[in-house]
Amino acid sequence: MLILQALVFATIFCGFFGIIFKQNLIMKILSMDVMSTGVIALYVLIAARGGFFTPILENSERAVDYADPVPQAVILTAIVIGFSIQALMLVGVMKLSRDNPTLESREIEKTYSQ
Amino acid sequence: MSAVISLETTTLIWIALPFLIGFSIYLLPKLARPLALVMALLSLGYSLPLLGQSTALTMQLVDSFGVTLQVDALSGYFVLTNAVVTAAVLAYCWTSNKGGFFYAQTMVLHGSVNAVFICADFISLYVALEVIGVASFLLISYARSDRAIWVGLRYLFVSNTAMLFYLMGAVLLYQASGTFAFTGLEQAPPEAVALMSLGLLTKGGIFVSGLWLPLTHSQAETPVSAMMSGVVVKTGVFPLVRCALLFPELQPLLGVLGMGTALLGVSYAMFEKDAKRMLAFHTVSQLGFVLAAPAVGGFYALTHGLVKSALFLGAGQLPDRNFKVLQKQPISWALWGALAIAALSISGLPLLAGFGAKTLTLKTIQPWQVIGMNVAALGTAISFAKFIFLPHGKQDANAKPINNPGFWIAMGVLLGGLVLANGFYLEAYSLKSMAKAILTLGAGWLLYWLVIRRVPLKLPRMMEQFDNLIGTMSLMLTLLFWMVLA
Repeated sequence: MLILQALVFATIFCGFFGIIFKQNLIMKILSMDVMSTGVIALYVLIAARGGFFTPILENSERAVDYADPVPQAVILTAIVIGFSIQALMLVGVMKLSRDNPTLESREIEKTYSQ
Repeated sequence: MSAVISLETTTLIWIALPFLIGFSIYLLPKLARPLALVMALLSLGYSLPLLGQSTALTMQLVDSFGVTLQVDALSGYFVLTNAVVTAAVLAYCWTSNKGGFFYAQTMVLHGSVNAVFICADFISLYVALEVIGVASFLLISYARSDRAIWVGLRYLFVSNTAMLFYLMGAVLLYQASGTFAFTGLEQAPPEAVALMSLGLLTKGGIFVSGLWLPLTHSQAETPVSAMMSGVVVKTGVFPLVRCALLFPELQPLLGVLGMGTALLGVSYAMFEKDAKRMLAFHTVSQLGFVLAAPAVGGFYALTHGLVKSALFLGAGQLPDRNFKVLQKQPISWALWGALAIAALSISGLPLLAGFGAKTLTLKTIQPWQVIGMNVAALGTAISFAKFIFLPHGKQDANAKPINNPGFWIAMGVLLGGLVLANGFYLEAYSLKSMAKAILTLGAGWLLYWLVIRRVPLKLPRMMEQFDNLIGTMSLMLTLLFWMVLA
């Protein structure tokens, strides 16, 4: 469990540093996706503290350890939101790429931030 | 049929309505403006009765772990701000050729901002904040120029990264306390508090994590910046204020950050030469006042929201954004008057609501904050002297008159609101506070004429670079963690 947790945090940090150090906008967006994958994994991991069995309501109760449904339900919402934001950002980047084909964030920033 | 619908039903209908209206606008684009205006007026009607009540309503939807709502006077002030600012912006855009899409997004934004102001659990808050992020992005990049898209993209990037940190904090809170409600914060480990505060501080444009704000607010279109600076940034501050009131042990932490951002924002604002950027930096500073005195933050947020949207709408009518150019180009009396009233209110001149809010805030803060906050108030007077002393009078022959009647209606609503809002705190009008306010104002103007106007200092914009904004988050996170632990 502890190793898994460490790996999850490592994923989050890889994603975070990717956002900072990658120059290309597409790579930055992908890094953000890595980071959000890490966060999702953290929720799944915490949901699995008490058990792994999928928490689905049945007629007969089983004597197994169920996973915690609350974080799973919450992260489902967050996945949908994250997905739509990423789609939106990629559309934005597509528009930008017409005039800035290299998509290097420093260059784009220099042009538009003044 | 019962004569009175319960407050619970009203709240539920009211919170769902903007989204319904927003999506109906896609089907009935002709009705966009009236529908949107009706919604803003409904929010106004909903918020006014709340102002006097300490706890109007707490409710839990769909069993335990469901959505928790809390409606009280604090929510009332914030919802009122949202309603008035939205109405003013709609009036401003009434004669423009904005399409149904713009109004639909405005309604979605209005609804999600309202949702933030009444929710009392971290997950509903997360959802509302993310919807705000998306709707703001669409509004910022509405012009669809490359620059607008880049500014919007940068905003969405910063806000989404911050919200990922927030989500991490939320699950750590759940692990420790078994609930996502605000009340669970009592058992939260320090890392959870630090992560969630980072998300909210970034979203709310506070201290160094708020340095994304000046570019975004100054590059957006006039009505969009008015909304962003008037209400949208307050959605990051509101949950912090709410939590500070629930758990007084958070107040020193937020007090330090509030004072820090008040001073940081105002020192940038003093030396800024661009009108819209100066207003945006000043927003960074004013959020500090809201945060420093959470108990009276609602009133301050209301006065700031009205003033800031009035100033952004007014700045959009100026012939240029550079103060240097503006010094040589007289503006019309009417525009100058509107700008000056707003600027005087935020500088704290008696008769306008900014005075009451400032007096109340400065009275409520802790003794160790007094010096810092008073310096920030002085800095506000200095920065707004730039607006007050704009040349006005006879215009050039080629100057364009403002032929948008909606602009004057919007100004009337916002400035009228400022005068009426005085009624919330009439006790401010004591001789001592009035003398102090006028003294601050006089000292600020004197400093402006003698020192600030002549200093050609230009503060570097390095910290506003995209990579640095994201990198600052890691520094801020470390800082927050040690502050929570201390």
